[in-house]
Amino acid sequence: MQAGNQQRRRMTLPRASLYGFILLAVASWGFIVFGDGDGFRGLFASGAWSNGARFLESLLGVNSDGVPAYLQAGRWLETGRLAAETLAMSLLAIGIAGVGAFATLLMAARNVSDGTLGGRPSNIGRAAYHLTRGSYTFSRGVPELVLAMIIVFFLSPGILPGAVALGLHNYGIVGRLAAEVVENLDPAPARALRASGAGNMQVLLYAILPQAIPQFITYLLYRWEVIIRTTVVVGFVSSGGLGREFTLRLSWFHYTDVTLLIIWYLLLVAGVDLLSAFLRRTARAE
Amino acid sequence: MENRRLLTLALLAAMGWSLTNIDWDSPIIHTGGGASALRFLLALFPPDLTPEFLGIALRATLYTVAYAVAGITAAVAIGLPLGVIASGTVLRESSSWQRPVMIGARAGLAGLRSVHELVWAVLLVAGMGLSPMAGILALALPYGGILGRIYAELLQDVPQPPLRALRSSGASPLRTLLYGNFQMALPDMISYTFYRFECGIRSAAILSFVGIQGLGYQIQLSMHDLLFSQVWTLLAFLVGLIVAVDAWSTHVRRSMVS
Repeated sequence: MQAGNQQRRRMTLPRASLYGFILLAVASWGFIVFGDGDGFRGLFASGAWSNGARFLESLLGVNSDGVPAYLQAGRWLETGRLAAETLAMSLLAIGIAGVGAFATLLMAARNVSDGTLGGRPSNIGRAAYHLTRGSYTFSRGVPELVLAMIIVFFLSPGILPGAVALGLHNYGIVGRLAAEVVENLDPAPARALRASGAGNMQVLLYAILPQAIPQFITYLLYRWEVIIRTTVVVGFVSSGGLGREFTLRLSWFHYTDVTLLIIWYLLLVAGVDLLSAFLRRTARAE
Repeated sequence: MENRRLLTLALLAAMGWSLTNIDWDSPIIHTGGGASALRFLLALFPPDLTPEFLGIALRATLYTVAYAVAGITAAVAIGLPLGVIASGTVLRESSSWQRPVMIGARAGLAGLRSVHELVWAVLLVAGMGLSPMAGILALALPYGGILGRIYAELLQDVPQPPLRALRSSGASPLRTLLYGNFQMALPDMISYTFYRFECGIRSAAILSFVGIQGLGYQIQLSMHDLLFSQVWTLLAFLVGLIVAVDAWSTHVRRSMVS
């Protein structure tokens, strides 16, 4: 009888959530369309589409005099330097996230802090576990852009504030994923080493890390693909790389320069996607 | 093993190169930066908890949720048809006119998802003017690209025997899709959409940096006025909202996959 009830409850939770979501969707669309904004009327306003078409034309440089920026070799070189800066920002961010997550990896893994892997359970370990997990949740919860806005208040402008913001946000994401890898790894090697008298450091080096590192690198590479897309956004506020130039050119109405920056952005994204896929294959291959 | 050692070296070299791009000559923390960092941290004790401001924060939270939900539903409307076309379940690679359509759908999805939602937002606002629709589209376009690709993969990866049984009993490709692929892939598709909804909340919050109502907009206003205790309150609302949606989505996904 009880089993039957549980079965029914398990079946209805996703369904209830689905209905709840549909209700939420209707309410949200209603709120936006009939609320205080102009909603759909904006979309059908005569201006919106012709403005959009005009904007596209200016991006292509149809009606402007002079050679569009994306056809000038010199402009390609100038913005290429910014693209390299953006790439450096993404690498730096990955470095910060990787080092941070790697340093806290063990504290955040439940099976390390509660002694399943053979250590002694302690209150310090438990406190460190909750503290680290809390820091992951916070840094994951605050978007990169908000972090960047806060960080530019005290770091000198350049690629560093953006990299720190991206690094902090991704520290929480990579940290959580990596801790889950450690929690799910095979405990047998660690126990065996412990039983034959190995110390904490030896268990870490020979039982935990060899199993966890390939997966950890894979996650970092996946995040790199996301980070390269976000570097531009963080650059909007932290004045580094393509992002800064993008907002400046847009506010000066240099639309063909905007097009050139978008081309560089897409090239970076495609390049990093390909490289990351290749490196992930390498990391997985024995 | 050789390859892995090369990989490690390459990653370390890349990190080293990225460090040389920092301007080490000028101070890392700018003049007065330390003082404002301290002021920012001290503003946490206490955050702004006056009823008026809590009202503002709650309203901003509602806006963020509304935009995230509207954006995700629009993303499903974009991603589902494109994903079905790209999956090759209805259209066939062998047909001369269907193949270009499939390749077009795949390229379209890749293009949509390679641009970050805030870059979409800046472009849409510059092109169409500041309107709620620009915000929703900015979220829906990249998320539609991601959802479409995942939907296509999920529809492809269903077990084949039931499909063969359907086909051999005379079902058309469309029927096979509806009663075969969809039936089997639906739990995973819904579960992934829920996961993306969770990401959409975060994105909706930052979308408001282009001027659309929401938590990000309020954070920006408070930052500009140097009212750091308000920033902390808004951050608490944002993290709280994300943790709540995270818990909901994890719960739903766990109960759907098992």
